Amino acid sequence: MSYREHLPETEGYPRAAIAINALVAIAVTALILWWAADFAVFYEELFRIQPVAEGANAGVGSDWTSGNQIAWLDFLIAITHAADVIMGVFILFMVFLHWGAFRRLASRMRQPGDSGSSAVAADGGQVEGGTTAGDGTTTEDAAGDTVGDDGGETA
Amino acid sequence: MTQLDHGKFSKMTTTFHTLLALDVFVLFFSGYSLMFNDELWWMVNLMGGATGVSAVHRIAGAGLLALIVFWMLMMVTTDTGRGNFREILPSKGDFDAFVQDVRFLLGSADERHPNARQFAGGTADEIPLLTYIGKGVVFIFAAELTLLTISGLLIWSKTGVMELMATKTAAAAFVTFHGLLGVIMLMGVMFHIFEHGFHPALYPVEVKAFIPKSMIPEQHDDDAEGTGIERLELSPSWNMASTVVGAMTVIGIVSVLLGSLFDEGYPVPREIAIGGGPTDILLTVGINMGVFVLLLGLVLQMYGNLLRVRWQKQLEQEASEPTTATDGGRVESEE
Repeated sequence: MSYREHLPETEGYPRAAIAINALVAIAVTALILWWAADFAVFYEELFRIQPVAEGANAGVGSDWTSGNQIAWLDFLIAITHAADVIMGVFILFMVFLHWGAFRRLASRMRQPGDSGSSAVAADGGQVEGGTTAGDGTTTEDAAGDTVGDDGGETA
Repeated sequence: MTQLDHGKFSKMTTTFHTLLALDVFVLFFSGYSLMFNDELWWMVNLMGGATGVSAVHRIAGAGLLALIVFWMLMMVTTDTGRGNFREILPSKGDFDAFVQDVRFLLGSADERHPNARQFAGGTADEIPLLTYIGKGVVFIFAAELTLLTISGLLIWSKTGVMELMATKTAAAAFVTFHGLLGVIMLMGVMFHIFEHGFHPALYPVEVKAFIPKSMIPEQHDDDAEGTGIERLELSPSWNMASTVVGAMTVIGIVSVLLGSLFDEGYPVPREIAIGGGPTDILLTVGINMGVFVLLLGLVLQMYGNLLRVRWQKQLEQEASEPTTATDGGRVESEE
């Protein structure tokens, strides 16, 4: 609470809306799952052996060997395979695009151990390219913002 | 200030993001250890065999259903939700940002488009709520999650789908459809982890998704030019880490893509297929690398939440110290 005093006003979500919607969401989920579970009521009919059935699905266990007879379901799987490949190639392209962009951005940043001469260290730490040999106090002064210089790079 | 100057999301959003991520990770781990069970046999064992995995998957599925319904309600019933929804609608700027990213990569553009910037620096106000990638992620994941939830519900009870689809084969085909559909999201989440974990200025995790806007002080450096990225120091481990994880992300994406083509799990194979399991050592290694990237994402999202907790503690501590910001300025939170 109190730590927010110096922080900006931000527009969040009303607490009441969060609470009510959370309750509604849980209730709706319970209802949907209840409905989904209720499907199982008719399972007995499904597993009944139908030796006299005719057509593509005739005979005991023939539904496993004759394959899926529903054309649109077959099509759905085929089109999802295609979507996987197209999206996969696109996502790979995006990975390489960002990987490359990140490398360009990284090259603009101050490199690790580079004690940078520019106007950082606004906190009163040392800025000038002095850095002579006095490593003791200066690094501690500037520890807040600048380098975290381990000294290893310059040696 | 390096990372915290671009708070964007409300506390509800960041909390939701955390819950959704945890839930989806569990769904991935349980679902894909079933679909790629040849390659991820150890994961099936880890979750208690086929029975355990199915139970875990269903519990997480119920959680996802509740989260989705909640989010839809929030987007519809609150002003903030409706306002945010308007902000994430794709615009011409997003397409321009994509084109400019390609040019930036090729060296013919000097800067990234504002709609592509994750690191906003001193000009945070000009940067949209989400990058064009962020918007794409929201829309693609939303569509995916909707389809996955519907198909998942239909196969929640296999007998239910059998009743609808007439044969067991058709019902099992629906399981295949569900698994193949999720592959797009699986690949997308790998990219999402790489994109938000390995930006050089934000590495190892982009905290905007974890620290709510209400906890981040605004800074207006009007004299600052550009993004200020050149003032930041690159982490010594970034180069190695981004190379290794980038490679793993690419290998992981390629492997689950190939795995989904070979190992389609169709109930009645069109022809007898031998192999594609542990015999295919490259695929096994690759898919496991992809799972490792997901595990890394899980760790990074925990780390993001850890940062939030530490940040909040620091703010509370500063607020309780009477000497802070007595000059009327804002508190300097430099690190």
